[in-house]
Amino acid sequence: MASDAPLLETATLISREQVAPGFWCLGFRSPRIARAAGSASYVAVDVPGVFSVRLPLGIWTTRDDEFSLLFREWGDRTRRLARLSVGSGVSCIGPLGNHFSIPVKGSTALIAAGGIGIVPFWLLTRELRAAGVNVRAIVGARTKAHLNGVAQLREAGADVTVCTDDGSEGDKAMVLDLVKRVHAANVIYGCGPLGMLRALCAHASENRIQCEISMEETFGCSMGTCWGCVVPVRRGSQQGSGYPPSPRDSRTYDFARVCVDGTVFPASDVLWLEAYA
Amino acid sequence: MSASNGAPANIDLSVDIGGVTLTNPTIAASGCYNRGAEFGRVVDISAYGAITLKSVTREPRLGNAMPRIALTPAGMLNAIGLEGPGIDYFVAHEAPKLSSVPTVVIASAAGFTVGEFVDVASAIDGLPGVAAIELDVSCPNVDSEGECFAVDPRTTDAVVAAVKRRVKLPVIAKLTPNVADIRPIARAAEEAGADAISLVNSLRAMAIDVERARPTLANGTGGLTGPAIRPVAVYQVWESAQTVRIPIIGMGGIETGRDALELMMAGASAVAIGTANFRDPLVAAHVRDAIAEEARRRGFASVRALTGLANPGFAGKRWPADRRPQRLGVSR
Repeated sequence: MASDAPLLETATLISREQVAPGFWCLGFRSPRIARAAGSASYVAVDVPGVFSVRLPLGIWTTRDDEFSLLFREWGDRTRRLARLSVGSGVSCIGPLGNHFSIPVKGSTALIAAGGIGIVPFWLLTRELRAAGVNVRAIVGARTKAHLNGVAQLREAGADVTVCTDDGSEGDKAMVLDLVKRVHAANVIYGCGPLGMLRALCAHASENRIQCEISMEETFGCSMGTCWGCVVPVRRGSQQGSGYPPSPRDSRTYDFARVCVDGTVFPASDVLWLEAYA
Repeated sequence: MSASNGAPANIDLSVDIGGVTLTNPTIAASGCYNRGAEFGRVVDISAYGAITLKSVTREPRLGNAMPRIALTPAGMLNAIGLEGPGIDYFVAHEAPKLSSVPTVVIASAAGFTVGEFVDVASAIDGLPGVAAIELDVSCPNVDSEGECFAVDPRTTDAVVAAVKRRVKLPVIAKLTPNVADIRPIARAAEEAGADAISLVNSLRAMAIDVERARPTLANGTGGLTGPAIRPVAVYQVWESAQTVRIPIIGMGGIETGRDALELMMAGASAVAIGTANFRDPLVAAHVRDAIAEEARRRGFASVRALTGLANPGFAGKRWPADRRPQRLGVSR
């Protein structure tokens, strides 16, 4: 859990940019949330209009009293959010979620970002650089237009290599292909499609590299009350429910709530069940 | 808290649900507030007259596989599967924290047999800080091919009567809307001794993931909640209010004060708010204040006068002293 209680704050939309077809970067003024945000923090946004539960979106960048959200338009709420006019007030709860852990000074961190999974890594890069950690990043996407945020990640201090599935930018490769070529990493951080994360966790496990991933599920409450956004974790994991085993159930894992127990989980705790396939 | 946060002064906001006095008619619905602590990190949950805890079962339950949530127009589907620690863990580790919840606490018991309901309710009865027990009789009955207890007056009666014989706390029967006629079920609950009924639980529903050509929820079906189901709730509360004299906790898609007033005017003495918390954590205060304002606007001294106001066949036994009942000649 985040150490400090999340805040309910009306954020003011101050900038709105379509960075690529279907991809948006929205800037908000929200002093309390912006200043409290850390790596992998997210906000639960009340998108104005017809009823929907809050939309959870990872915080991309922060500067003083402002934060930005970088997101792909993928459903009704993101579509409506992207079309708000500058100056609109938007109710946000945040920062929510836990953070990536920071290794000792002088280590080398490797970031593996798939598509919009780049979002938690601007803040992480800043935190890592501030802690004296070298940051390498592999950022991949389906195609060039889906490759957003790379320049900002470089500005934050990451040594970024890009790749695309179709070769339209950088290497024609998968993120994991490039991750496997980096041998100096002491820790790997991942965010992206489940298939990529699963393969990344397997790679980290085989090579005994510490690895943390930020996960996603469909959230209901974003507050930890509804148990809707769970992922299976190893029994005994710090982030699991810790409930006694169910006597009538052969399943031997625990569920953890992505919204409050995560979104960041150690790769060694996450279980990849067939439900994910 | 009643009149201090913007609610009109001099309006009596309190309601009585089976002998439990709530400072105002808003209740957090079961399953949406867990044990109260989470939303308490962001808002003052004492805006609620009561909170209903997530249902507890006798045995620990891991719950359903994911996805457990699907978003739908003006609502959402859930199939959590009653994930929870079981009653022993609840009593040992979670119940001791309930005394610090800054409002009335209603515990919720779920079971798959009558015996399970009795065991869970008996364990809850007498826990410090718990004022009433809601029975999630919308659970599937394993002795009856998994059909919900609350789709049949006999099984509703069996659960409620068995629990009532064993516990001292007021008992609230939470009814499912997935029935052809709610009235015999509501009557069965009342006759079995329920101190109140609450309705509606979620509507059984389904969504298909067209890309993957399979149900969106891992469980296949789920429970539909949110504003999408509100007219169903209004109707079933209306029907129930013409049938029983015990208090009704109305719920189903309440998002605003106006929504809550619909349910109260249909016959609810209190209203429960669920999914709307997932948009607006301050919803209880807004709804509470709107109910008080409506009572003031109509010149009522108490919000209790709003209950059944639109329902000529309202059977509620205690007509408030501050309101002359006006039967409009529609017989029930």
